[in-house]
Amino acid sequence: MKIIIAGDGEVGFYLAQLLEKEYQDITLIDKQSDKLALVENKLGIATALGDSMSYKVLNEAGVQNADLLIAVTSVESTNIATCLIGKKLGAKFTIARINNMEYLVDKDMLDLRELGVDELVSPESLAAREVKYLLKSPVLTEVFNLYKKDLYMIGVRVEDDAPIVNKSVAESAPLLSNSSFMIAAVLRNEKTIIPTGDLQVLKGDLLYFVATDRGKDKVLEYAGKKIIQIKNILVIGGSKTGKYIALRLGKYYNIKLIEKNLEKCNYLAKTIPNVQYVCGDGADVGLLEEEGISNFDAVIAVTGSAETNIFSCLLAKDLGVKKTIAMVENIGLFDYSHKLGVDTLINKKMAAANFVFRHILKGRVLTQLHGINVEIQELIVKENSKIINKPIKELIFPENAIISGVIRDGKGYITLGSFELKANDTVFVCSIPESTKEVMSFFN
Amino acid sequence: MNLSQNSKFSTFKMIFRQIGGLLIILGYTMVVPLLVSLIYSELYSASGFLLSGLICYVVGFLLYKKIKITVEPLNRHALIIAAMGWLSVAVMGALPFIIIAFITPKEIAQQFVPSFADYQSSIFYFKNPLHAVFESMSGFTTTGLTMAIHEPSIGKGLLFYRSFSQWIGGAGFIVLALAILSQSSGKVAFLLYGAESSGERLRPTIIETARSIWKIYLGVTIFSFIYLVIGTYLILPEYNITEIIFDSINHAMTGQSTGGFSTLDDSIAGYHSQAMDILYLLPMILGALSLPFYFRVFHDKEYNQFWKNLQTRSILVACIFGGIILSFMLLKSGVISEPYRIGFFQFISALTTTGWQTSDVHTWDAASIVFIVMGAMIVGGAAGATVGGIKIIRVLLIFKGLFWHLNRFFSSENTIKVVKFNNRRFLPDEMNKELASTATFSFIYLIFVMASTFITFYLMGPEYSISDALFESASAQGTVGLSCGITNPAMSPTLEITYIIQMWAGRLEIIPILILFRTVFFGTKPKVV
Repeated sequence: MKIIIAGDGEVGFYLAQLLEKEYQDITLIDKQSDKLALVENKLGIATALGDSMSYKVLNEAGVQNADLLIAVTSVESTNIATCLIGKKLGAKFTIARINNMEYLVDKDMLDLRELGVDELVSPESLAAREVKYLLKSPVLTEVFNLYKKDLYMIGVRVEDDAPIVNKSVAESAPLLSNSSFMIAAVLRNEKTIIPTGDLQVLKGDLLYFVATDRGKDKVLEYAGKKIIQIKNILVIGGSKTGKYIALRLGKYYNIKLIEKNLEKCNYLAKTIPNVQYVCGDGADVGLLEEEGISNFDAVIAVTGSAETNIFSCLLAKDLGVKKTIAMVENIGLFDYSHKLGVDTLINKKMAAANFVFRHILKGRVLTQLHGINVEIQELIVKENSKIINKPIKELIFPENAIISGVIRDGKGYITLGSFELKANDTVFVCSIPESTKEVMSFFN
Repeated sequence: MNLSQNSKFSTFKMIFRQIGGLLIILGYTMVVPLLVSLIYSELYSASGFLLSGLICYVVGFLLYKKIKITVEPLNRHALIIAAMGWLSVAVMGALPFIIIAFITPKEIAQQFVPSFADYQSSIFYFKNPLHAVFESMSGFTTTGLTMAIHEPSIGKGLLFYRSFSQWIGGAGFIVLALAILSQSSGKVAFLLYGAESSGERLRPTIIETARSIWKIYLGVTIFSFIYLVIGTYLILPEYNITEIIFDSINHAMTGQSTGGFSTLDDSIAGYHSQAMDILYLLPMILGALSLPFYFRVFHDKEYNQFWKNLQTRSILVACIFGGIILSFMLLKSGVISEPYRIGFFQFISALTTTGWQTSDVHTWDAASIVFIVMGAMIVGGAAGATVGGIKIIRVLLIFKGLFWHLNRFFSSENTIKVVKFNNRRFLPDEMNKELASTATFSFIYLIFVMASTFITFYLMGPEYSISDALFESASAQGTVGLSCGITNPAMSPTLEITYIIQMWAGRLEIIPILILFRTVFFGTKPKVV
């Protein structure tokens, strides 16, 4: 598959890095030669120097026979123009990164798809959406949307007094019986385990569930979590992500947003209603205390600096805030932040990459869940396959992989042992990367 | 000739040229009452209009065409033009009153007096030029205070002219001149437009905006006319149909312009019908709504504006609650026989600054008078309408500012204290700016009312009280036109001039008048301290 990525920024580089692992034919376009040199050294992929809107540069990158053109520079208009030009020059599918949500929301006015931009992605908006899911069920460590509003991947840490502690998965089966959720993976001491019937659940395990919308609350009961209600939110940082959080959540929560830059603050105050704005430094302890940080149910730190975000969240945690979410772009800091006690981390690069992957790897959703080493694949059951019309527990399924959810006729289902697959079902399989090939051949 | 003299001279030329333009329009407008006079075969009135129209036109033509201007007006010039222009229009607009008063023979004038009445025709009061200027100023500024004690006795031609002058003055002379002459450049047009009305730009160009305003204005007036003809016919079927049409045209014009001149001797009370009182509420309220609001509703088809538009909503709410409160106050005082009928009608008439009267305010108790002054006449209708007063939006802004000042004590020091007003979000700096200009204006306005109240108090007749003085003064300042009787042909000339200035200042929102005075007495040099 020939892929062109325009823009060697954070998102572009991260995408290139992930796709390179998949042995895709990738060309990266950027205006800065030193950045490209670094990419060539680190990833060993092809590069093209110049403006991605230039015919010459696009041709040099091989746009005529590109399967996919992803424009993720920081400039929205460049991205859109690159996609429009690229599409006409031969790219089969184009994705543009945007900031202006109008393009997504007001499709009736003008659908960019008709012009040649096949998909739009806004990393900041995706991050804000993730925050929205997390706040709806704040005790969850992670929420990842698998399929529309039907199937979610949920991460929950097991508490001491949970009913399932020290029981095997099979033993706790009665609790699972309403088939609205199932365990798909377990993270224990930084090791990823795909569960079998005899796996013992220990306290401190991070369980990953696949659940239907209804099942989300049941999961909490199962893992011994009390449901907490979030009402007051402190957002630190008026970055684009912060802006989208204010925009999306202002109606539902009492939000206070702290931003250092007065001009930015004024701009937000003028444009986004239902939010209280404070001009000040999010890393200033005195200010945070003055603003009553301990009175908030959740603190979401989304400044441009990961260190500030982590620090603010730790401070909040220390002062008794129930839920802390930090935006951390540096993936290397993930483990430490979790260990230090930040509840949840979000990363807009990963959010964007996950989104893009859904459109690239037909039949495969490569989902990078934070900190856990699993891949989720999306596979379609063939008409004459041997695996249909048999309960799943009778199948000889590859090791370290588990069928975790099915989409049938546009609805999501949880696949417990007695579930029978049918032709044309879309199946989600959760596996550790080493088993990926086996799983694919199983379905072929 | 040194440079500064040169520029001063060209400034005058520029101002006079613009005034010339206004006078040409004024000359043209006299054709309409001329035709009305001819329809009613009032030949003396017709020749009066012809003569005055010609004078206005010739003077205007000489100023407008013969003066070659070299400089473009600045902001202050636009304000001076507005002030001077309105004064000139009021003075020149007094010509028909004076001329007709002098040329109409006594017996002809006496024919205008209804057969059952035994008074003299009021036309002859206008032999005094001051009375004529007062009537003209009251007309063009849409006030409605009158020197014609018995309205019907001045003839149909003059009656129509009074109403017509209110109608023209309502939407604005300068707006009319911009719409018709369309010779000013965009920048000049914008300055002039802003000087006369605190209006918004509805169309990309000011000329088009001016035309849209006149179209809307005409449209709503025609609606009022049809509404009044049908309504009057249904309520008073025995009334003469030509009289119904004449009254309805006049009242549609004076209602839409919130002027309040009437063709009847006792204003709307002359119908002696409660149903007619109710019928006349709608034209007043329609006149008090802002013209940009109509534009939004009818041009942009935003029908939810009826509730979403802050000014419209507030006026409707204020009419209802103010009417109720005034009714109760009148009921409590016990001096009025029909407190609800009078309370609602007079409150709405005062709030919309129309000035149609159904009650002798002189007999009211002081509390009710002070309430109608403070709660209605000083407030006024919507900015962008033809009303006077401080305008309801400013009053709301000041209240908003008050709450904002209180609320800010409850948020932390670093919080950006945004305030939402009229669907806009204001940052603290912007809000302070808005508040400052609004408060300054309101303060100057109140000072004008206060000063005039005292002048009135010392110059009025012995039968009136200080509350009557306040009422009359606020009525003149707010271009309302309700009167408790202080305004009459026998009043002191000083007081009459005071009211003329007040009406003039009230129509233009005071600032242009102060700028004119500043220029006349202190020149145009910036003040250096």
